[in-house]
Amino acid sequence: MNAKIKETLLNPIFKGNPITVLVLGICSSLAVTVTLKGALVMSLSVIVVTGVSSLILSLLRNTIPSRVRIIVQLVVVAMMVILVDQVLKSFEATYAIDKQLSVYIGLIITNCIVMGRIEAFALGNKPWPSTLDGIANGAGYGLILIVVAFFRELLGSGTLFGFDILNRFGYVTNNLVILPPFALILLGCIVWLQRSIQKDLQEK
Amino acid sequence: MEYLSLFVKSIFVDNMIFAYFLGMCSFLAVSKNVKTAAGLGVAVIFVLLATLPLNYLLNEYVLKPGALSWLGEGFAEVDLSFLSFIIFIAVIAAFVQIVEMVVEKFSPTLYSSLGIFLPLIAVNCAILGGSLFMQQKDFANIGEAAVYSLGSGIGWFLAIVSLAAIREKMSYSNVPPALKGLGITFITVGLMGLAFMTFMGISL
Amino acid sequence: MNTNSNVYTVIYTAIIVIVVAAVLALVSQSLKGRQEANEKADTISQMLTAAGFGTKAEFGKMGNAAVIDKYSAEIEEAFTVGIDGEKKADLPEGKVFSPKELKALNYIIKDPEKAEEAALPVFRFKGGLTVVPIYGAGLWGPVWGYIAFDESLTIRGAYFDHESETAGLGARIKDDPSFQARFAGKKADFSAPERSAVFEIVKGGVSGEDGALDNKIDAITGATMTSKGLDEAIDTWLYAYGAWFNAIPASACDIQGESCCCSGCQKSCCASCPCEKCCTSEDCTVSCGPDCCSEQCGCCSDNCCETKSEEE
Repeated sequence: MNAKIKETLLNPIFKGNPITVLVLGICSSLAVTVTLKGALVMSLSVIVVTGVSSLILSLLRNTIPSRVRIIVQLVVVAMMVILVDQVLKSFEATYAIDKQLSVYIGLIITNCIVMGRIEAFALGNKPWPSTLDGIANGAGYGLILIVVAFFRELLGSGTLFGFDILNRFGYVTNNLVILPPFALILLGCIVWLQRSIQKDLQEK
Repeated sequence: MEYLSLFVKSIFVDNMIFAYFLGMCSFLAVSKNVKTAAGLGVAVIFVLLATLPLNYLLNEYVLKPGALSWLGEGFAEVDLSFLSFIIFIAVIAAFVQIVEMVVEKFSPTLYSSLGIFLPLIAVNCAILGGSLFMQQKDFANIGEAAVYSLGSGIGWFLAIVSLAAIREKMSYSNVPPALKGLGITFITVGLMGLAFMTFMGISL
Repeated sequence: MNTNSNVYTVIYTAIIVIVVAAVLALVSQSLKGRQEANEKADTISQMLTAAGFGTKAEFGKMGNAAVIDKYSAEIEEAFTVGIDGEKKADLPEGKVFSPKELKALNYIIKDPEKAEEAALPVFRFKGGLTVVPIYGAGLWGPVWGYIAFDESLTIRGAYFDHESETAGLGARIKDDPSFQARFAGKKADFSAPERSAVFEIVKGGVSGEDGALDNKIDAITGATMTSKGLDEAIDTWLYAYGAWFNAIPASACDIQGESCCCSGCQKSCCASCPCEKCCTSEDCTVSCGPDCCSEQCGCCSDNCCETKSEEE
């Protein structure tokens, strides 16, 4: 693996994390982090969508007229997400999965990460690096989601993946943790931690 | 009177940012100073005000089950609602593209300070959220849809301007270096969100 | 090639839009049948879950065909009623209502001018269970579900579903069996003067002090809007069914006879039933709660009161 690909893959996980550094995809990180399961489903979907849509738009990048590029990007992303949704809905085995996923369809289409990476990377790079960039950004996003969801489910419901962890010890669930504002405060703390380690990210 | 209560409700009680936490990415990233924030706020009001009534008409006369019956008896059974996501997003993207071109032409300084977040209005969840809420709330006429869109836009505008004002003041405060900037902003927004929850009890 | 010329831009956009619309329309049309079959099996399993014939997870594992078999084995009759309480028509065999159809009905019920045209579905299962749907708006999208009543009009079970409520909060109306279990044993106040008083999902917990808790349950903490929406959905629909439910006892008693009287002891229906036979004091201590002498216990009351006073 050459250095550049490695950089493309690893940078978004920590140093250039889409949520804590690029400030993309906050809305969905508030909505889906009440349970670990929701966060996991959302992360996987976003990884797939960012990867594939970066690939497609990178292939199309030289043909897209700059004045209508936003429409083209969004229409392609939305089409893909809806297609996946429709196909999953048609099979008995995947119908149940789709019912869980359908909640997030709107959030995936409007997830700034998908658009943000297409604008910032895929439109100026070859298909292969673009795909990797999309996947890596999805993964960096998922990492933060899962950390936030871990604390919110543990402290808010006393469970992890729905299994009782704290309640058996007489833990009184904290409802503040379930409310969206707490996710923001938690994100603030994650940013704090990250920037204490990586001093070059600190703002003056 | 009904319009007035819908208007007040959509600004404060159903505030896009603090009640539904929609449109966070650009909200957080473009709130460093009041002037730019106000610029983006106005752009969001404009886009919401333009797209929501348009989407209302599309939903009413094209997308809803049976909406095509004005074309003749044969169309009464047609249900195009599976297209609503993509139509809404295309209308929004087209408008954002227009706004982008107008801003670039008339205010290059604002254009450069908004940066990538101008095209990202298209994926601003607040805008698509507005259209989806409209579909769900079943407004009786286009007037209600327009009032709702204006109220939501103003609510978003107020939220981003007030956050920008707080951040401007905060630059004189002694915040731990690692928390400066993004970290403390997350926490501030969380606290503002908690404060705004008091409006939820009001029924108009 | 100049990708910025007007002609190119227009043609490019047109092609993209046409291709996307065509692909989506094609996929949606060709998969429609399969999707509808899945949706139907899902709806049926929701009704069966509400009526207590199994859990949703069990039905999920059975597969579509087995779920439909189970349904045809358990269903007794399905018909529609009007808001005046009169039966309208029998439903064709195997007909169930998709969320979309419920949505259309919801419009009709809520519109005072059209409400009389409404044909509300009633599903009667073996064992005297009656299942009716409800539908309304949650926080992000629609919520709907099914409520099962036994012969005494006590709620036997309920199942709710939603399109896009927040996972872990509003989504608990579907995912949290303990929330659905709160409905069992409750009653709906079908003679309530106001729509909003038919059933109540109370925020902040039901306190034991206000006596009549029959039609109240606890809301979901942190999901105020979803709970409110569900409450309104239940109120709207059960209010519409009110006239029909109120008319049940008289007709049901003749058919069901003894069993009707003994399981729930509804006063109006028990008038003609031989209550003494079944309502021994032993039955009463088991089935009647602390307020056994109130109206709900109807025929049991005499026996119960004796037992109670003895204990005191």
